[in-house]
Amino acid sequence: MRVMERSFREQLFFLVLCLSVLKGDSRYIENNEISKDELYSFFNSELKREIPEELMYRRPLRCLDMVAVEGQFTFTAEHPQLSCAAFFMAEPTEVISVEFDNVDIDCQGGDFITVFDGWVMKGEKFPSSQDHPLPVYERYVDYCDSGSLRRSVRSSQNVAMVFFRIHNAGSTFTLTVRKHINPFPCNVISQSPEGSYTMVIPQQHRNCSFSIIYPVEIDISEFSLGHYNNFPKRSMPGCAESGDFVQLLGGNGIDTSKLLPITDLCISFTGPTHMKIGCDNTVVRMVSSGKFVNRVSFSYRLLDSQELQTIKLNNVEDFCFNN
Amino acid sequence: MKLNVLLWVVALLALLLPRSADCRPSIAPTAHHLLPQPLLLRLGEEFSLRLGGAGLSSSSSSSSSSSAVNRALLQLTQRLLQAQAEQQQQQEEEEGEGEGEEKGKRSEEPPISLDLTFHLLREVLEMARAEQIAQQADSNRRMMDTFGK
Repeated sequence: MRVMERSFREQLFFLVLCLSVLKGDSRYIENNEISKDELYSFFNSELKREIPEELMYRRPLRCLDMVAVEGQFTFTAEHPQLSCAAFFMAEPTEVISVEFDNVDIDCQGGDFITVFDGWVMKGEKFPSSQDHPLPVYERYVDYCDSGSLRRSVRSSQNVAMVFFRIHNAGSTFTLTVRKHINPFPCNVISQSPEGSYTMVIPQQHRNCSFSIIYPVEIDISEFSLGHYNNFPKRSMPGCAESGDFVQLLGGNGIDTSKLLPITDLCISFTGPTHMKIGCDNTVVRMVSSGKFVNRVSFSYRLLDSQELQTIKLNNVEDFCFNN
Repeated sequence: MKLNVLLWVVALLALLLPRSADCRPSIAPTAHHLLPQPLLLRLGEEFSLRLGGAGLSSSSSSSSSSSAVNRALLQLTQRLLQAQAEQQQQQEEEEGEGEGEEKGKRSEEPPISLDLTFHLLREVLEMARAEQIAQQADSNRRMMDTFGK
């Protein structure tokens, strides 16, 4: 009799437990809206940080535009716009994703929206083909060719741009721009003419460039090329033989492979590290073999008109007047 | 039995596999016509007008000087675009003759490009930075308003 009562009690407790679970009286995991409520959300290291709808920044997109903020940008053609482009820019440690939304264009009529992974100006591209993992044609993503398959395009560096052509008035499209953290930035265009930056290539066989589209005075404060840690810095001719070195380039284009070398740093450097470079584009480029962790730190500031004039007068050569 | 299974598999494959001819987008000829030609833009004209009349606080204070700058920029950009157009026409004539040899070289040329001076690029960059600062300030204000409630 007691055994029966005991087994009955156990069964009763088990039944009550099951009913409680099904009813939901047990603890539940609160959705704190940071991680997506998906089956494999735990494996996704990127937290959901979507801006709430009411706080999303919105404004019209202009035919020539530059966007440095997240948000939604809508272009509506008031008349045919055959030649338009918008630049996107983020912080050095960020990459940009561009999402096509509410696209109403006539692809068959010749309209297109093309996102480019980088910047293109006067036939020159940044990053250059040498420094970018993708071939040129893969860096262009045309909505009309792949819109249904790729609604979102992510850049490899902190800059991207979009070209678009609209033939019919009233056609419209929206681009949603978001920024994502890039823990190991490689190719960067500086947002400002002044600042400081440390470029690190952690044992990767790649070349990285930091581009400053202003005439600047640059001061390389520290660089270490893995096996030459803490050695005094000295520039020597023939750095190209070394697999790891830092180049200082200058010129009037954005393609780093077409800029002229000002100096190379590969072993060590003694003496002044300040250089005034009067070029439209100054680039610090690091070539890395992948064997070491290479690091270079530098700061830069804008040259004023007086300094530019002085540099120009003091130099005979036509090349960007570096001092 | 096996023959039936094989026939079913073949039929399913025939239905599910895409037909390459049908799936080729109809705009491809147009796109191929568009893509190899650099895209020449009337940016100087458009941008200069917008810079002077877009109502931006940074440019409204010096309208007379900025209009002169805009005219200069407009002329410069139009000349650049014209030179680029002439160069492109010459290139197309040359490319028609030696297309096979230069195909490898041309594949590295960006199919769409933008003729913009560094000066204009810096101008739009500064506008974008001003917008970023203003938007950040607005976002901070909203956050402070929310925290204060």
